Amino acid sequence: MTCHELDERLDDWVAGALAGAEARQIESHLAGCAACRERERQLRRLLAHAAALPRSVTPPRDLWPGIAERIERGSAWSAFLASWQPLALAAAAAVVIGVAALLWNGSGPTAVRTVAMPSASPTLRSVTDTGVADPVLAAAARDYEQAAGALLEALQRRRAVLPAEDLARVEANLEVIDRALEEVRQALVKDPASPELNRMLVATHRKKVDVLRRVVRLSTAL
Amino acid sequence: MEGLAGVASGDARVPMSEDHDRRAAEMRLVRAAQQGDLLAFERLYRDNERKVFGLCFRLSGGPALAEELTQEVFVRAWRKLSSFRGESAFSSWLYPLTVNVALSERRSRRRRDARIVATEDPARLERTPRAPAPEAGFDLEKAIAALPPGARAVFVLHDVEGRTHEEIAAMLKLATGTSKAQLFRARRLLRQALVS
Repeated sequence: MTCHELDERLDDWVAGALAGAEARQIESHLAGCAACRERERQLRRLLAHAAALPRSVTPPRDLWPGIAERIERGSAWSAFLASWQPLALAAAAAVVIGVAALLWNGSGPTAVRTVAMPSASPTLRSVTDTGVADPVLAAAARDYEQAAGALLEALQRRRAVLPAEDLARVEANLEVIDRALEEVRQALVKDPASPELNRMLVATHRKKVDVLRRVVRLSTAL
Repeated sequence: MEGLAGVASGDARVPMSEDHDRRAAEMRLVRAAQQGDLLAFERLYRDNERKVFGLCFRLSGGPALAEELTQEVFVRAWRKLSSFRGESAFSSWLYPLTVNVALSERRSRRRRDARIVATEDPARLERTPRAPAPEAGFDLEKAIAALPPGARAVFVLHDVEGRTHEEIAAMLKLATGTSKAQLFRARRLLRQALVS
């Protein structure tokens, strides 16, 4: 056995994992090689030293106040998430009911069934940009869309630190609001001059921005 | 290592009935904390902070980062507390969480901070300009901190904490053979530091 071969087996040797002919070879080599005996001694001392290190170490300062503060901030986040589900659904339901009522008054029940399809349509958005006829309201809708975009980017940067289940809930709720926005946009295609629908679109944008702002603020504190 | 106020063992064996009583008391604290009782959770923190800090300290290689990691472990433990059913001691439940937090934080810091790439260099220990003192005054803590992170994690878990390669492989999501290879590498580097 060479010194290199012994070095390769030294871990198993000191762990007592070798037996028989291999163990005898190592014993024989160690008996005649002072350098390998020294290596074996060093390894045994290292392992004894490592095993004697204290597993428990007192932190240099009290870490609890920082932990408690983060937990309390996290509780605010959890409470917000818990309250958000009904909030978003209620907002979306109000929009759908409002859209349905407006269309019932205007075009009859066939139109209600048409706007009930929630799928997003980029084509519709490109026709009217914001989808709002009133220039003041259209400018407000654009501002809200830009703000929502910036907040979504901020939220994207927080993805790594947000618990996966919280993130899934945030995204599911945003989807609810986006579907409500799409309902109003589709209704506006049928009745672009409706002041109620114009206001409803801007109000739903505002709701989305408000919610996103709270999500980003609370998640940043986590 | 500088910055440490002291040590406590916490590893002494206790009679079985005393251990049973302690587990029952611990479970009462866990249940209270699961109901939102922050004072109960603070008691659990006080009972476990030194073990968690000790592990974070060695896995991260320094006291400043270990403080951050210890806080992160307990914040995450609070969030996940509902999943603790009491099949094991609370400290056993915390252990893999601590390892996971310490190593995932290390990975994310490595991505953020290019300087940390240097610690991944396996030859770093051999060519460090400030080699540890000779054996009599050998500072094992510093030598462990200077190990490449992968080798350091396996050395700490196996030779300091007494975990098996199978346990380490499961916690670090490695093959058992990789854990053994990292331990061999760590021990070789530490032996070299020992004699330098």
